[in-house]
Amino acid sequence: MQLSRREFIKSGIAASTAGVVGLPVSGLAAAAAAELEKDWKWDKAVCRFCGTGCGIQIATHQGRIVATKGDPDAPVNRGLNCIKGYFNGKILYGKDRLTQPLMRMKDGKFDKKGQFVPVTWEQAFDEMERQFRKTYAEKGPNGVAMFGSGQWTIHEGYAMNKLFKAGFRSNNLDPNARNCMASAVAAFYSVFGTDEPAGNYDDIEYTDTMVLWGANMAEMHPILWSRITDRRLAHANCRVVNLTTFRNMSSDIADLEIVFKPNTDLAIQNYIAREIIARDAMNKAFVEKNCVFATGPYDIGYGMRATDKYAYPAEKDTQAKELKVKLDKWEAIGQRRKEGEVVEQKNTADPAKHWMISFEDFRKGVEPYTLDFVAELAKGDPDESLDIFKNKLKQLADLYIDANRKVVSFWTMGFNQHQRGTWVNEQCYMNHLLLGKQSMPGNGAFSLTGQPSACGTAREVGTFSHRLPADRLIPNPQHRAETEGYWKIPAKTLNPKVGSFYAKILRDLEDGSVKWAWVQVNNPWHTHPNANHWIRAAREQDNFIIVSEAYPGISAKVADLILPSAMIFEKWGGYGNAERRTQQWRQQVPPPGQARGDLWQTLEFAKRFKLKDFWGEQKVPGLKAEGFADNTLPDVMAEAKKLGYSPEDSLYKVLFATPDNLKVKWPDAVAKGHDNHIATLLGDGWFPEKAFWIEYQQFGKGKGKDLADFDVYHADKVRGLKWPVVNGKEVAWRFNEQYDPYVTKGAGIEFYGKLFKAIPSGNLDGITDPAPKSLAGKAKIFFRPYAAPAEQPDKNYDLWLCTGRVLEHWHSGTMTRRVPELHRAVPAAVMWIHPADAEARGLKRNDLVWIESRRGKVKVRVETGGRNKMVKGTVYVPFFDEGVFINRVTLDTTCPISKESDYKKCAVKVYKA
Amino acid sequence: MNISGIAVSTRPEWVELVVQTLSAIEGVEVHAADVARGKLVVTLEAPTVGAEVEGFKRIRALPHVVAADLVQHYFEDDGEIINALPPGLDALEGVSVPEELKDH
Repeated sequence: MQLSRREFIKSGIAASTAGVVGLPVSGLAAAAAAELEKDWKWDKAVCRFCGTGCGIQIATHQGRIVATKGDPDAPVNRGLNCIKGYFNGKILYGKDRLTQPLMRMKDGKFDKKGQFVPVTWEQAFDEMERQFRKTYAEKGPNGVAMFGSGQWTIHEGYAMNKLFKAGFRSNNLDPNARNCMASAVAAFYSVFGTDEPAGNYDDIEYTDTMVLWGANMAEMHPILWSRITDRRLAHANCRVVNLTTFRNMSSDIADLEIVFKPNTDLAIQNYIAREIIARDAMNKAFVEKNCVFATGPYDIGYGMRATDKYAYPAEKDTQAKELKVKLDKWEAIGQRRKEGEVVEQKNTADPAKHWMISFEDFRKGVEPYTLDFVAELAKGDPDESLDIFKNKLKQLADLYIDANRKVVSFWTMGFNQHQRGTWVNEQCYMNHLLLGKQSMPGNGAFSLTGQPSACGTAREVGTFSHRLPADRLIPNPQHRAETEGYWKIPAKTLNPKVGSFYAKILRDLEDGSVKWAWVQVNNPWHTHPNANHWIRAAREQDNFIIVSEAYPGISAKVADLILPSAMIFEKWGGYGNAERRTQQWRQQVPPPGQARGDLWQTLEFAKRFKLKDFWGEQKVPGLKAEGFADNTLPDVMAEAKKLGYSPEDSLYKVLFATPDNLKVKWPDAVAKGHDNHIATLLGDGWFPEKAFWIEYQQFGKGKGKDLADFDVYHADKVRGLKWPVVNGKEVAWRFNEQYDPYVTKGAGIEFYGKLFKAIPSGNLDGITDPAPKSLAGKAKIFFRPYAAPAEQPDKNYDLWLCTGRVLEHWHSGTMTRRVPELHRAVPAAVMWIHPADAEARGLKRNDLVWIESRRGKVKVRVETGGRNKMVKGTVYVPFFDEGVFINRVTLDTTCPISKESDYKKCAVKVYKA
Repeated sequence: MNISGIAVSTRPEWVELVVQTLSAIEGVEVHAADVARGKLVVTLEAPTVGAEVEGFKRIRALPHVVAADLVQHYFEDDGEIINALPPGLDALEGVSVPEELKDH
C-alpha cells in the first residue's frame, strides 16, 4: 500500500513538473496525478517572501497544506520557484509556532520584569487597553506608536492606518518598509510627483542593456534573475552590468562588473551625466518638452539624533557629523568649497526642499565629475588598476549613451539603504531622462522592492507617518479633507502633524516620549541598526511593547506581550508587488491553536474604545498647522454628532463595522468554500477584507491609482492586475500615451504626477526667486553632488561592513529558519572576508572572530570563499541569523530626506574570539 | 517523506548522458525528457531532509547540468522539524530574554 501510494505521488508530481516545463504528460501519469490529487484542493496564492510577487499554487487536504508549486499561469514567474518560494507551505509548521498569547507576569499580574506566561486573549487585550489608556492620558496621541509592515496584507495595513490616524488621531505609525523603500518613494515624489515605477517586468524581455546598481538580483530576486539570464543567453547583443561594492553571484553572468567604493555611486552617476552632455548625447527634444532641472541643499546631515545625549562614548565622533562636516577633497569640489572646510549642517530640518535651476547651472554642477576625478575616487578594488577601472566606467557610459540601445537600470537596497538614498535614486532618473530612455518598453529606471507588499500596503495604502492612501500626504489640508470625507469622520479629526518615522519611534522609546508600541508583521529589534540602544530601551524603560508574531523572534523576546498571529495562508489577503501588480488570495487553512489574524487583533482592540476617548480636544506638542490652534487637536464631537455618531459609539462601529461595510456579507460566493476565520470570529455577518477593499478603492479612483473590484482579483483566470486598472484594463507603462489612459491625448509622454509640481527657482547655491513656478506634466532632473559616508574605516576600525540577505533566508529568519531544508542549506550567518585580510589578522576559514564597531560586537565565523568574493577592506555579514546579531554592530544613519537606514556602510574591526 | 519535482536543463547533445548519471543517484527518477530542448522532468525522493537537500545539490552539481529548478514539493508531517530547529529557537524557553541580549 505504502509503495503504490508513493509511486502515485511521484508520478503525480512528475506530471505537474512536466506541465511547467512544457512536456507532454503520459495518460498514466496524468491518471496518477488525478488520483494523487483527488482529495486535494488547489488554489492560487502569492509567495510570502520578496517583492517579486511570484504566483504559487497551494494544495490543501484536511486543513493542512500538503503541496505547493510555482503557478504556471503567473506572468511573473511562469511556473518557477526560487528555493525560498518553493517551501512556502512549510513555514506554517515550525515546532515553536506561537499559538497562545504570552504576557510577562509576576504574582498573577503583569510585570515588566516578569516571565512570559500564557494568558487568554481577554487578559491580553485587558492589559493592552489599560496600558494604552495610561499612556494616552499622560502623553496624548504622540505617546503611542505602531511598527507596521511591508508584509502586512493590504487590508491589514488599511485597517490599522485608519485605527491610528482616524481613531487614535496619532500619526506615529510607520512600516519596516521605511528601511526598505523610503528612498525610492522620496525620489518618485521629487522627480515624478507620484509613487511607484513606470515600467514592469516585461522590460527585461524588451531591453538589450540591464544595469544593476546595488542589487544582487541573483540572490535577492532570483526569479527575475532567471528572466534576465534567459534574455542574456538568448540575445548575443544583450549586455548585463553589475555595479557593486564586492563581487557577488550576479557578477557570474555580467558582461561588465564595476566594483566601487561605498557612496561613490553618486559620483559615477554624475560622470555619466557629464558624458551625456560632453558627447552632445542629451535628448534635447525629450528634455525640453518633459523635464526641468532642479537641485537642493547639501548641508543636510546624516539622519542621526541632533544631540549626543544618548550616544555611547565611542559613538560621539560619528554622531558629531550630524552637526558639522569637514569636507574632504571629493566632497568639496561638488559644493564648490575648499578641502578641509567645516560646514555646519543647517538644513537637517528641511532636507527635501528643492528648487528649479537652469540647464547651464546643471551643467556646471556635473562638470567636476570627469573620468579621472571619478575613477580615482570610486575605484573599489585595491587590486584593480586605475586604467582598467577607467575603461570600465567609460564602457558603462557608452552603454547608456548608445542611441541604438535600450537600457533598464535596476536597483534595490544598495541605493535605498544609503546615506544619500534619495539623491542616488534621483540621479538614476537623471540619466534616463537626459537620454529620453524612460517610460517605454525596455527603457527605464526601475526601482525593485524588497518586501512582498512594500508597494501594495506600505506605499499605496500610505501606512507611513506622513502619508494617507493613494499619494496623499498628512501635511496637505486638501488630502486630509478628502480622507476625512471617504472615512465619514468630522473635519479636523486627522492630526496634521507628521508622526514619528520608524527609527524615530525607537528613539522615542529610548528617550521616553513613546511609552506604548505595537508591532505587527515585522521584527524591529532584530532588523533595525544599532540594536543595543533599542533593546535597552525596550527592557529597561518604563513602557509597554506588544508584538504580534508567528514565531519567537528577537522582538517577541524583548516584548511585554506576545500575540500569536495567523500566517499568510491562514487568512484572506492581498499584496502589491514591484511592478504595480495587485494579487489577492483566500484563506487556505485555519490558524493553529489560539493564533488569530492581525486584522482580527486590530478590530478587537478597536472595540474597546469609544469616540469620546479620542475625539475631544487633544494636546499634541509641536503641532502647528493652518486652521489649528498651536499644540492642539480640536474637539470634533459636535461635528461627529451631526454625522449621526454618539460619544459612546465604539471605534469598531464608527471606523470598521459601518452601515456600508455591514452590507458586505459573509459568507460570500467568492470564497468557493474557503473559510474566513476573522469573519467567523467577529460573528456579525460581514466580510471585513472585502468591505475594506471597497472602501479603499475610492481613494485611487480617477487619481491614477485605480484598482479593480475585489472579486476580479479572485477570478480563476486572473493572476493579479497592474494598476491603474481603467475600464478593466491594466496599465503596462505609466506616463506613456500608448499604454496609459491618464496621459493627455497627443502628449506622447506626460509625467502627470501632482506632488511638488510648483517650486521656487534659484541656482546651485540656493533659492533666488521664492515664488513657486508650475512644472505640471514634467519630471525633474536633479543635480546632486557626491557626499562622503558619515563613518569611514580608520586605523582603529579598519574595515567596511556591508550587511544584507542571502538567497535561502527571508529577513530575520523567523519563517525560513523553521524550514529544515532552508535551515540546513544555510544554518548560520558567516562573515565573508578577503583571504588576504583574513591572513593579515591571523585568521583562516571557519575561525570564530569578533566583529566590532563603535556600537557593539558579535561573534561570527570567517568565510573566505563561497558565493561572495570580497575586495580587500570590505566584509559582508547577512542579517537573518539572530545568533549572529549583526545589527548590534551596524550604524543607524539614514538618508536625511527619506529617513531610511543605511545598512551598507560602517567601520568595523575584526579579531580572533 | 519528501518528494520534489525538479526541472533539469542541459544541452540537447548531453541529454542521454545526464539521464544516465541522474538515474544512478539514489532516490532520483527521470520521468520524461525533451531532447530537442534539453529539458528533463525528475523526481527526487528522500527519507530525510538532509538527504533531500544533498540530492538537490548533487543534481545541480552534475556535469552538463545547466540549471535545476524546483517546481513542486510534496511533504507529509515531518518529525525531523524538531531536530532541525536552530539552537536557541527551540520551544518557549527561547522566549525569555537571552543573556546575550542583556549584554551591552
